[in-house]
Amino acid sequence: MKELLIILMSSVLVDNYVLSKTLGICPFLGVSKKIDQAVGMGIAVIFVMIMATAATWPVQVYLLDPNGLGYLQTIVFILVIAALVQFIEIVLKKFIPGLHKALGVYLPLITTNCAVLGVTIDNFGNHSVGGEIITGLNFGQSLVYAAGSGLGFLLAMVLFSGVRSRIDGPTTPKVFRGLPVTLIAASVVSLAFLGFGGIIDNLFK
Amino acid sequence: MKRSFSWSSIIVLSVICLVMSGLLAVVNGITAPVIKKAEDAKANGALAEVLPGGTGFEELDISEYTLPSSITGVYRADGGHVFKTSVTGYSSGLQIMIGVNGAGEVTGTKVLSSSETLGAENTYGATTVGQTVATIDGLDTVAGATKTSTAFRQAVKDSLNASIILGGGTVDLRTPEEILKDSIAEVLPAAAGKDFEKVFLVEDLGEIKNVYKVGTDGYVVEFDGAYAGISNDGTVGVNNTTLSSDKLSAVPAILEASVLTDVDISGLEISDKITSVQKTASGNYVFMLKASGFGINGDAEYGISGLPIIVKTSVSADGVILDCLTVEQHESDGIGSVCENADYYSKYAGRTEGTLDDIQIAGATYTANGYRTAVSKVFEAVRKLKEAGK
Amino acid sequence: MDKNSKLSVVTKGFLKENPVFVLVLGTCPTIAVTTGLVGAVSMGLAATAVLICSNLVISLLRNIIPDKVRIPCFIVIIAGFVTLVQMLMHAYLPDLYELLGIYLALITVNCIILGRAEMFASKNRPLDSVLDGLGMGLGFTIALICMALIREVFGKGQIWGVDIPFLKDHTIGFLTKSPGGFLVFGLLIALSTVIAAKQGKPAPKLGCAQCPQAGICRSAGVTDDDCAKTEGGND
Repeated sequence: MKELLIILMSSVLVDNYVLSKTLGICPFLGVSKKIDQAVGMGIAVIFVMIMATAATWPVQVYLLDPNGLGYLQTIVFILVIAALVQFIEIVLKKFIPGLHKALGVYLPLITTNCAVLGVTIDNFGNHSVGGEIITGLNFGQSLVYAAGSGLGFLLAMVLFSGVRSRIDGPTTPKVFRGLPVTLIAASVVSLAFLGFGGIIDNLFK
Repeated sequence: MKRSFSWSSIIVLSVICLVMSGLLAVVNGITAPVIKKAEDAKANGALAEVLPGGTGFEELDISEYTLPSSITGVYRADGGHVFKTSVTGYSSGLQIMIGVNGAGEVTGTKVLSSSETLGAENTYGATTVGQTVATIDGLDTVAGATKTSTAFRQAVKDSLNASIILGGGTVDLRTPEEILKDSIAEVLPAAAGKDFEKVFLVEDLGEIKNVYKVGTDGYVVEFDGAYAGISNDGTVGVNNTTLSSDKLSAVPAILEASVLTDVDISGLEISDKITSVQKTASGNYVFMLKASGFGINGDAEYGISGLPIIVKTSVSADGVILDCLTVEQHESDGIGSVCENADYYSKYAGRTEGTLDDIQIAGATYTANGYRTAVSKVFEAVRKLKEAGK
Repeated sequence: MDKNSKLSVVTKGFLKENPVFVLVLGTCPTIAVTTGLVGAVSMGLAATAVLICSNLVISLLRNIIPDKVRIPCFIVIIAGFVTLVQMLMHAYLPDLYELLGIYLALITVNCIILGRAEMFASKNRPLDSVLDGLGMGLGFTIALICMALIREVFGKGQIWGVDIPFLKDHTIGFLTKSPGGFLVFGLLIALSTVIAAKQGKPAPKLGCAQCPQAGICRSAGVTDDDCAKTEGGND
């Protein structure tokens, strides 16, 4: 339980996908101008990350690894994610139209979001849990890691949309207006997250 | 139109997938051996790390030897062996690589993978360097990481034993439980494969320190590490001990004749650790004790049960502990809970007043001290009971 | 196309249509792997190799791939070449493979590559597509080198892993972390804005127009206006 909590907290705060690993920058910069869009995108990413992990983890462990096909990981994962996103969209549209209306528009955006592919591959990478290095998370840990990474994405999006609404005004020097000042604001938010560095080790000591 | 379009789409996509997979399979065929070779070279570097000076590492087929079950791989080098081991510490999957030189000494250890909680395995390895099979059991466990360090020590011991086996020697790989079971089956053939239980001794049987009752078939007694079997009617079976048959054949009768009567301890000023006392016809006492271990005295921060350790102990009229047993305990799992193991509480048997101080549990000071304090109260109690004529 | 325009297909990616600083594509690796020159150059060249191969194959198949499944087809082809590069690097350049880690696999979803497949390779002849891939790949590499040069020199006091006297003892440590990446990228985009303004061109904005998913974005109600559009041109 403690282990899962460590994985969750570090993926939200310390190893934040957007602000620390700098993955998924396009939607982070592109869809964070309005807070409702940021929240919609963030929730859709959480949803897809968890579903994608639930789909790709068994594929890797029960299909690719036993048959010596580990090298097909990238190609299979991206196809699984693409198919999954399509599938989720169809299912939502048919059975939960309310949710589809809220999230559906963001789903196709996520197919080639590198944070989603990143999480599914990272599940099999090295993770530091309470001072130990674990290579390859088990299924439960992977789901928690995916949920945490998605939450971290949502958190970053929401915080950043709040920051952005204040920076792009007439007082901003002309050459910095638009993208440059947005990136510099992202740098400041990312700097704030750098402060979470040692928190997990000390929180769960 | 839409339908025919879909068919060609699916076919083209499938063909592209197949062709790309085929291409990858071909390239994988070329690169996989190169990658494997590079990783092996890296692994060899790790081998040399735990066996400095070792050259010409070569993996042995472990199925050809009878080795301890924790050994998962063996590499033979000019200078010794390197063992890959897998043991269970606090959680499973503690994999350690251990180097043992030709003289049977540990040359180095390396933790390959671990899910232990405290990281004790990373520092414990250094203390095992230079140990031999004769000294390894004397190595202290790490306080607070008893499970991890015990598992680590087991892995090192297994490696040392395996190195003796690979060198052509023989090692008894049985656990103490297996040795006991095999010995009982040997001296009382009727008991082979049956359940047995240790008899809680309330009578002084002299040299005999342990008695096991095997269902309805009889008894097995242990003296000085050797065993003898006795049927219920006193017929002595195989006798590996130096005890006389007369002495042995009397054992069942003594055990079955002993009757316990409750002693009223109200009004006697004896320790409150003692909850009840019984007496045998021969004048020995049986005490039920309530020891305050970590569960009572421990640091609440780490979560304590608030419950005592319940201990049963028998003492002869002249103040010698005949037997001791942990009836119930709620100590920290893997640390204080060691007090329920027979090899801990049986240490009290044969002790007299003032000779208990060396009975310790590494890493569980609260448990050991509380246990010892409770047991030490029985000697005074025996004196007072005798004075009161009870 | 004459020889000159062939050359311009290659060189336009260097500065005029630099995928990172002008088109603003592939921002993730631009920030993630530019803590040092070694990582930047190897990432740039790996992506260039994938870009050339995928552009060639997609251009050859441009009349065969049905429009409806073109994006999945492109992704499979790109992912295949990424895996190919991964395997070759793992075998022959293991140190660089370790250094780039997961970002190597993530070349698959680098929008520069999918973007060039969609914008160029699927509409042009193989030779031109290869040249375009080469130019864009080198442009990407140049951009990564610019980022890495600043971050390594001032963040680590090193250049290509070799210590620089004085700077080694006066490093700005945070430049090697992700906030430093965002900051340096922001400053370089600002520089690119200045240059664009001098040439009378619009300032760089997030590469929505070049992104194959732009259509989806718009249907999602995310307009170009939301995409960090600069207001510089309106003043």
